[in-house]
Amino acid sequence: MAWRNLWRNRRRTVITSASVLFAVVFALFFRSLQLGSYDYMFKSAIESYTGYIQIQHHDFWEERIVDNTFTIKPELNNRILQDENILATIPRFESFALASSGPQTKGVMVIGIDPEKENYLSEVENKLVRYRLTPEAVSRIKSDRTIPEKVGNLLDLYQGNSYTNSGRMQLDLGISDKDAGSLMPVIEKEARFENGHISMGMPGAWIGDKLSRYLEIGIGDTLVLIGQGYHATSAAGKYEIKGIVKQPAPDIDNKIVYLPLDVCQDLFNAPGNLTSLVLHVGDNSDRAVEETLNRMEPLISEPCRLIEWKEMNEVLVSQLDADNKSGMIMIGILYLVIAFGVFGTVLMMTAERRREFGVLVAIGMQKKKLASVVSLEMLYIGFLGILGGSFLAIPIILYGQTHPIVFKGTFAKMWEDFGFEPIMAFQGIDYYFLWQIFIVAIMVLIALMAPVRRILGMNVVNALKA
Amino acid sequence: MKVLEIKNLHKIYNTTQIRVHAVNGIDLDFEEGEFAAIVGPSGSGKTTLLNLIGGLDKPTEGEILVNGVNLSTLKSSEIIDFRLRNIGFVFQSYNLIPVLTAGENVEFIMGLQKWDRKKRDERTRELLKAVGLEERIHSRPSKLSGGQQQRVAVARALASKPQFVLADEPTANLDSKSTETLLEIMESLNREERITFIFSTHDARVVKKARRVITLEDGKILSDETRN
Ligand SMILES: Nc1ncnc2c1ncn2[C@@H]1O[C@H](COP(=O)(O)OP(=O)(O)OP(=O)(O)O)[C@@H](O)[C@H]1O
Ligand SMILES: [Mg+2]
Repeated sequence: MAWRNLWRNRRRTVITSASVLFAVVFALFFRSLQLGSYDYMFKSAIESYTGYIQIQHHDFWEERIVDNTFTIKPELNNRILQDENILATIPRFESFALASSGPQTKGVMVIGIDPEKENYLSEVENKLVRYRLTPEAVSRIKSDRTIPEKVGNLLDLYQGNSYTNSGRMQLDLGISDKDAGSLMPVIEKEARFENGHISMGMPGAWIGDKLSRYLEIGIGDTLVLIGQGYHATSAAGKYEIKGIVKQPAPDIDNKIVYLPLDVCQDLFNAPGNLTSLVLHVGDNSDRAVEETLNRMEPLISEPCRLIEWKEMNEVLVSQLDADNKSGMIMIGILYLVIAFGVFGTVLMMTAERRREFGVLVAIGMQKKKLASVVSLEMLYIGFLGILGGSFLAIPIILYGQTHPIVFKGTFAKMWEDFGFEPIMAFQGIDYYFLWQIFIVAIMVLIALMAPVRRILGMNVVNALKA
Repeated sequence: MKVLEIKNLHKIYNTTQIRVHAVNGIDLDFEEGEFAAIVGPSGSGKTTLLNLIGGLDKPTEGEILVNGVNLSTLKSSEIIDFRLRNIGFVFQSYNLIPVLTAGENVEFIMGLQKWDRKKRDERTRELLKAVGLEERIHSRPSKLSGGQQQRVAVARALASKPQFVLADEPTANLDSKSTETLLEIMESLNREERITFIFSTHDARVVKKARRVITLEDGKILSDETRN
């Protein structure tokens, strides 16, 4: 009888299961987006800088001074590289210094890198600014009469912004792919920004976009760095600015200076020393990283030690944890809204059938039997909705996984101002999928209690009056 | 043989504002095979009385015995089963389960009593034939006229061969032609199956067909006439 009811009263079935279906789709969609975005932030933080495993001086993490550095013998480096999961080792020398250019002075982070090896991980080269919307560039672009007013307004809004690729600039300026062909070449031409390379042995520097603005310096200008070197020696050097890099995190962008590794070691009077050696892994799953660590352990001896991504990104881990909590509240509110939707629909459907229930009990159907038939009906409907919702959500999420949401225009600027990359990624089908379905199923079960209670507590005489 | 005895029946409704003595000391007996109308002005207690007889509502005082069984001694789930086996109901309107066809509505009660399929089908056809709706067996209630729906309801009320059928204003929503047809059907079933019908009505033409007319006023019996 339950099946027949569903089939025969299609309107009711469709409305109720649709409410469940939307509940499932919403829950899955938002959870996927939430988890995916955390994951993205996490991965991009780790992969853009620390990597998963590093070798450091035993004390460096606690006390980041030039004295807590180490040297690595080429034989050891080669043995490490023989490991199946280690694709490269990336040497670095990090320290702090005072940067000045003319009247401006600022504390900066100096990182000595091997520019080529960094391409494995932090890809500093890809972060070089390719386009800059300087006031001059903006006015030159706007003088071109083919530029629509809308784009002109956005140009004003984004004036001063730098871009590492034209795609992002196109998004910010709200230019569709269709118009890109005619508009972008003009903009690209006027906004183009040329960088030079830094290479071992050459006293050149790449500096952060925000830092360059603060110090009011550009390509070809000279940057003076003053700091403290190895064993309390004094460190000072002059470097020509070769390029401007744009780091997504604003508080890094405003204090980063890259030098070639050997140049940096010389600055701090510590030739051959490293503050860290990143062991760049191929497989970054928790298990693979753990196993790689275990294989490395016997190779590393005092004063060095292995340090893991969790320890290095402690702040991020706890920050994302906190974020996850507020995310939980968000999703909790979403569940509440969803639950009200499902509950409301079920209550409406129950109210609509009051007289029918009254007649059934009056002619001799036991309330318990009626309640179980109605429950079965609801379970079918819930099942239908959950099944449909999952099937609808799967392609959306799979699509979203390969096509993350990239914000455009003013909204993107807002995100960037908050220090986030204006991207929301989706998490692939995972355990959370079952959890969301489970939660919606619980909601259906709770919603089910409404008609059951109504039926068991029904006053037949009143029900018949309906 | 007495199918129904009502002794000193009272029903008092206590609402926050007022106290209504809807049934105020009624004594009545019904013999098997009666065709009785309960009449009276609006608010005189007809519906309340029928609901009490059918065990849909509990009396404040007094006793109802159906075939010697005192309804007040039964638990509420037992009363439902008792109704299933002994009492047929026809209400004023919207009697039928909308998702079931005419045939399935009639069959439903027999299904609840776990009759076997063949017996159910036979009885359903027989009853629908008796109410003149044999060819509408597969129609859903929404496809039937008000009069046809009431005829299906009568067929359903008779399905389990009850002791008596209670009908609260079964013709109130029908035109005079349908009223006449329904009454004829009820009468012939009453004669052929020897089923007791107790119905309330406002309609003088319906009253005329009754062989016994009980008139209520303010919850009391004003008159009780039997005619032949
Ligand atoms: N659930 C209730 N609560 C309070 N009072 C009620 C309730 N049901 C009925 N009554 C009152 O009991 C009295 C009898 O009502 P009842 O419905 O039995 O009359 P009736 O003869 O069937 O009237 P009608 O011809 O209008 O159907 C009325 O005064 C009515 O207001
Ligand atoms: Mg009434």
